[in-house]
Amino acid sequence: MSLILNDLVPIHWAAAGAGIAAVTLALLVLANRRLGISTGFEDICSLVLRQTYFRREALLKTRRWRMPFIGGLVLGGVLSAVAGGGWTPTWELGMFDERIGFGPAGKLAWMFVGGLFIGFGTRLGGGCTSGHGIFGMSNLELPSLVTTMSFMAGGIVTTQLLYRVVFA
Amino acid sequence: MLLYLLLGTAFGFILSRSGAADYNYIQGMFLFEEFQLYGIIATAVALSAPGLWLVKTVGRTWRGPVNIGPPRLFTPGNIAGGLLFGVGWSIAGMCPGPIFVNIGEGKVYALAALAGALVGAGAFGTLYDRLQRAFRLPPIVVGTGQG
Repeated sequence: MSLILNDLVPIHWAAAGAGIAAVTLALLVLANRRLGISTGFEDICSLVLRQTYFRREALLKTRRWRMPFIGGLVLGGVLSAVAGGGWTPTWELGMFDERIGFGPAGKLAWMFVGGLFIGFGTRLGGGCTSGHGIFGMSNLELPSLVTTMSFMAGGIVTTQLLYRVVFA
Repeated sequence: MLLYLLLGTAFGFILSRSGAADYNYIQGMFLFEEFQLYGIIATAVALSAPGLWLVKTVGRTWRGPVNIGPPRLFTPGNIAGGLLFGVGWSIAGMCPGPIFVNIGEGKVYALAALAGALVGAGAFGTLYDRLQRAFRLPPIVVGTGQG
């Protein structure tokens, strides 16, 4: 199956996994940081919100590294598109277009709702696929294993319902 | 700062080209029709785990003694938050990293996913006092941890 992005052929999973491990370990060895992305949502919130939670030192201290890292993620996406057939704004959404078929306004609403779950859920759970799934599990932390099993279960049930029941 | 930008760029490029930031591959994983994402996560953990063990055994990094914080304690929030995040991952077809990667790729709808995630995180922080009691979360100065 090719990617939605310019119909590119994806790199092998073993190579991708090795690359992710390399970044995770480089972040630790070179910068003494544990990989984690979803706290970045709090970093961005802390730029405008003034609640106690967003003014805590633990957050403001790590904002300095996580914000450029997240900027890099965006840049990586840009470079990937530019180097792989060119960058163009797109609304393409693969099997969503075939099976669910909402237009731009519907997609924005759909994605916003998904985002709400992601933002609230990752903060309540204390991390996402990177912080728990990659770093936490590699560090043999039990809460990370439990959280990873929980978000895999949540995703499996939701997608099975969406694509095998509701939009079957 | 430049180091973080570079590492983030490398990470973003890999996510973009591996299928980890691709709606079809995410749904394929949850439908048990695509092995790709399982292979990526398993390989990443299988290689990071011994590397991490080695770094911790040596005890040093380029920037001083290893400091990745105390082991995090389990809270009911891990299960509830994990389940909610999983629902969102399925709906949007993106986890947090790929939201940013997809924005970079030019996928317009990813901006709405980011907006939702910021509102969700903002609501979480605003309601922290109440959630802390319900889910036995750490004190507010600590938060739920970096991840």
